[in-house]
Amino acid sequence: MLKIQGLETYYGESRVINGLDLSVNKKDIVCLIGRNGVGKSTTLKSIMGLVKTPKGSIMLDGQEIIRMKTYDRVKLGIGYVPQGRDIFPQMTVQENLELGLQPLGGKGKIPEYIGDLFPVLAKFSKRKGGDLSGGQQQQLAIARALVAEPKILILDEPTEGIQPSIIEDIGNAIKKINQWKGLTILIVEQYLDFVLKISDYIYMMEKGNIVLEGKTSELSAEEVQKKMTE
Amino acid sequence: MNEIIMTLFNGLSASSIILLTSLGLAITFGLMRVINMAHGEFIMVGAYTTYMIHNIFAAYLPSEIFDLYYILAIPAAFAITFLLGILLEKFVISKLYGREIDSLLATWGISLIFQQAARSIFGSQGVLVQSPSFLSGGLSLGSVVISYNRLFILALVGVCLFLVWFIMYRSNFGAQMRATMQNRAMAQCLGINSRKVDSITFGIGSGLAGIAGCSVALLGSVDSTLGQNYIVNSFMSVVLGGVGKLLGTFISSNIIGFSSIFVENYTSSSIAKAIVLVIVIIFLQKRPQGLFVIRSRALDE
Repeated sequence: MLKIQGLETYYGESRVINGLDLSVNKKDIVCLIGRNGVGKSTTLKSIMGLVKTPKGSIMLDGQEIIRMKTYDRVKLGIGYVPQGRDIFPQMTVQENLELGLQPLGGKGKIPEYIGDLFPVLAKFSKRKGGDLSGGQQQQLAIARALVAEPKILILDEPTEGIQPSIIEDIGNAIKKINQWKGLTILIVEQYLDFVLKISDYIYMMEKGNIVLEGKTSELSAEEVQKKMTE
Repeated sequence: MNEIIMTLFNGLSASSIILLTSLGLAITFGLMRVINMAHGEFIMVGAYTTYMIHNIFAAYLPSEIFDLYYILAIPAAFAITFLLGILLEKFVISKLYGREIDSLLATWGISLIFQQAARSIFGSQGVLVQSPSFLSGGLSLGSVVISYNRLFILALVGVCLFLVWFIMYRSNFGAQMRATMQNRAMAQCLGINSRKVDSITFGIGSGLAGIAGCSVALLGSVDSTLGQNYIVNSFMSVVLGGVGKLLGTFISSNIIGFSSIFVENYTSSSIAKAIVLVIVIIFLQKRPQGLFVIRSRALDE
């Protein structure tokens, strides 16, 4: 589904991603983990075309997207939930969700299963996005990314700053989407318990490259934990 | 009684002109945060467009259809300033997003170029636009006569306000526009071509200035500095209303318009302007965010 090869990403003159290789298979939930500042979020921004990527290849469903504009990549079927959620605070929940239809030209309807996944959004549909709690905003951001029924969903630290009970709800929702729709999911995350619970495959990053990878069922939690804290 | 009716109407009329000239600025400055010092010159271009169409009709077309010139002038003024706005955004403003002082200086330079170009083409003397016959005269309310010109501007403001509201809150482009203005990167991540949205939004703001120019051409002579007469009140209205809030611009235009006319009754026009400016400055010292504030958890964080 998604294949990254030899990716190099720069902020100004400094290289943040250093020849990264990463693959996400169809219908898998893949987690990219690592400490702060190792380049996880930058990898997602590279996939979205939000940072300079002079070298490497990013293939989505066999199509090279690395030179495409961000909005064209989205139209090919990438749903993105950024770190910090970035919902539109002055718009209502309903308007935020309808913006998710933009990859389809603003036409179509919000799929019914979104309401089943996040009942709180239906309840607060007329409330301003900025008036929701952090957990509700996160659910809104995920729902908005799902509205256009993407091929792959990319989430950047979905548990950051969220209370434990909502983290569980979000984890369950991600699992359900994966099972109901067979959606491919790539998540950047630091909360290891969450990662071990929901992922099929794990990549660990350090200094802009992958240092450990494997099926979640085959990796030792202790080894991953140890590497994370080294 | 007559004096009260006249004062109220004059206040309403002054407010409508301020609102019409501020509406475009409420988009380019209020929503896009671009300090466009050439906004006044777009008003001037709209007024000269009206003057040129007026002259073409007077010189080349039958006198029976002369009045139609004004009906044509409104969309023409919008179209020309819309295109100029798009060109300005593409070649100047887009290079200066996030650099307010640079865009202020660049657009100020452009405003001087526009003014000099107008002087070179039309001369330094003001020119007059004859009102179409259907706008000549006025409506008599007892001994008070309310000019049709000013009533027309009131109606035009209503139409423009409705169209701006409709575009912003009832169209897909409006949703794209509001998303882009709030968070450009996220808008792109939802499949919105935010460069195109920026360009068209700036064009619409400039086009509204053109329509304002078309209407003020009926009120007095048109010259190269016409826009300068309106730019201060326009910026004041947008800032007082609270940058980014169209409703704020609507209310502040009325406050400035009515208070100017009210103070003018007891003093003179120029002293009234100075007094209103001082009141607005004092108000903004106490409440720099203006009348309306955009609040949200996300913005507070």
